[in-house]
Amino acid sequence: MVKKLQGETFLLSANELRSGKVVFFTSKGWSSSTDEAIKIKFDEINKYEEISIREEKKCIIVSPKFVELDDSGNIKNLRDKIRNSGITIKI
Amino acid sequence: MYKYSDTDKKIIASRVKQFENQVNRRLEGKLTEEEFKPLRLMNGLYLQLHAYMLRVAIPYGELSSKQLRKIAFIADKYDRGYGHFTTRQNIQFNWPKLLDIPEILHELSLVDMHAIQTSGNCIRNISSDHLAGLTLNEIEDPRPWCEIIRKWSTFHPEFSFLPRKFKIAVIGCTKDRAAMMVHDIGLRIIKRKNQVGFEIFVGGGQGRTPIIGKKIRDFLPKKDILNYLEAILTTYNQEGRRDNIYKARIKILVKELGIEKFRSLVEENFSKLSNKELEIDDKSIKEIFGFFRLPPLKPNTNQMPFKKNQEYQYWINQNVIPHKIQGYSIVQISLKAPKKPPGDATSNQMRALAEISDKFSFSEIRVTHEQNLVLPHVSNKELFNLWNQLKIQNLATPNLGLITDTICCPGMDYCALATARSIPISQKISSHFNNYLKQEEIGNLKIKISGCINACGHHHVGNIGILGLDRKGQEFYQITLGGSAKEDAAIGEIVGPSFSKNDLIDAIEKILNTYKKHKINKSDDFLSVFRRIGIKEFKKDLYDNFTKKA
Repeated sequence: MVKKLQGETFLLSANELRSGKVVFFTSKGWSSSTDEAIKIKFDEINKYEEISIREEKKCIIVSPKFVELDDSGNIKNLRDKIRNSGITIKI
Repeated sequence: MYKYSDTDKKIIASRVKQFENQVNRRLEGKLTEEEFKPLRLMNGLYLQLHAYMLRVAIPYGELSSKQLRKIAFIADKYDRGYGHFTTRQNIQFNWPKLLDIPEILHELSLVDMHAIQTSGNCIRNISSDHLAGLTLNEIEDPRPWCEIIRKWSTFHPEFSFLPRKFKIAVIGCTKDRAAMMVHDIGLRIIKRKNQVGFEIFVGGGQGRTPIIGKKIRDFLPKKDILNYLEAILTTYNQEGRRDNIYKARIKILVKELGIEKFRSLVEENFSKLSNKELEIDDKSIKEIFGFFRLPPLKPNTNQMPFKKNQEYQYWINQNVIPHKIQGYSIVQISLKAPKKPPGDATSNQMRALAEISDKFSFSEIRVTHEQNLVLPHVSNKELFNLWNQLKIQNLATPNLGLITDTICCPGMDYCALATARSIPISQKISSHFNNYLKQEEIGNLKIKISGCINACGHHHVGNIGILGLDRKGQEFYQITLGGSAKEDAAIGEIVGPSFSKNDLIDAIEKILNTYKKHKINKSDDFLSVFRRIGIKEFKKDLYDNFTKKA
């Protein structure tokens, strides 16, 4: 999960195991909002990777990943933006 | 339609129980995701960008109204009130919870449906011609053969862990409406010296290495089909690469060995097979064919009613074709209404359509690989009534085969693999060309859009293919021209550097201008012109004065 990371700041994200819902790691646990998500510095990555492994083992989440933030603290990549804010089309 | 036997029902029910157990073990932590993934994939369950995605099999695209009602029920109760029809004639739900999957599978089993082998490295849903059994030029209805192959391939112990996924299509006439030539195995029913059998193609496919299938057998007697398929699959299973996922499809094996060598290996395996159980006798064939008889249609002289209603006449011209029984029509329902995601249907539309099919088409609905639906047996005298009812549901868009009838994958709006969005591009095209006369003037034209190189939107075989790419974090779109998924199958040629999404419509307009400039008459369609004048003319017109390129 960590090997290919570039950038300086990240959010820890995953899908909830039972629902599949996209979630972000906060100081109070997992949340579907990025508002309170912990901003993780590159040198803290290993610590949060361990947390994600632990949370996966507890069957809370699946498919954890780090989401890169830009200089303004917003999600950088389009895929991650869509993943956070939902589909961009009307049904 | 094929009716499940007690054995079929038992198999499906036991699979539901088995998967329920696997889901419970996963939720309890007794299975890791690594262990669970291949199990869920074998039941059509993916984890996508936002949520789980469940792909439900619609064997050879055939649905009953009862099944469609159940799909609508599932969409409402367990999803977000809609479903997406795919290029393998299946349907996908985009938002189910893992917790609910066993219940969904149970509900499906009540109407003889399932999600078995809709994913994973196994033989996938067998696809076919959506007009099977309905046209005069057919040698034989391919659906019974699809069913025979479905039975053989379901849970086949030897072919459940192939090097990669495996797709088979069967057609029954010279017209290819199932993209048969870009399948791992393509079967075409032919007649030779009064004997009906199969012409067999192998090693076709799309994805990152698009290849048109090569003919491996000129003619195979019908009784031998399962033994021959077994021989091809055995050869692939033994020789196919497992070291590199991108080199694991049978098309790569055929390409690397050459068709002659591959054929000799298959023939060797075929000659060794002494599995008489797989030979199909006439009685068994007849029994399966019995399920696919036409409903009781009485030939008559009813004509398609003429009405002084332009919209209705457009729809008749574009979406309705004659049935082989006089007095009846085949109605094609476009799921490409303006501004709607191609292939999507809401639960309300599904329920309405189930009702409509009960009333007008013997409760039968078919799904096409181009992500549309078909009502196969409609009396001519009911066409106007039917059109009125479809129109209420926004299901009467008259654009079959025209520029807004795009094939489109879910793209980056849903898919974890996509490198760009594809649905918004399709919507831009449908908004820009939302005028029947303008579309009709352009004529037959297939635009196919994929959000990544895996080509789920079949862009390689689009007359105009559009491939979404990620260029340094920006979405760009590469255009290919001259592809075809029909009997004259061809892989499109890349026209040049890709375009931003803002420049894409202009680019398509320029391509169409080149086409119009060289079009001789009304029947001279885009593909004919492309084949006559080649890509250079298009390239020249397209890139002159174009500044924003990637």
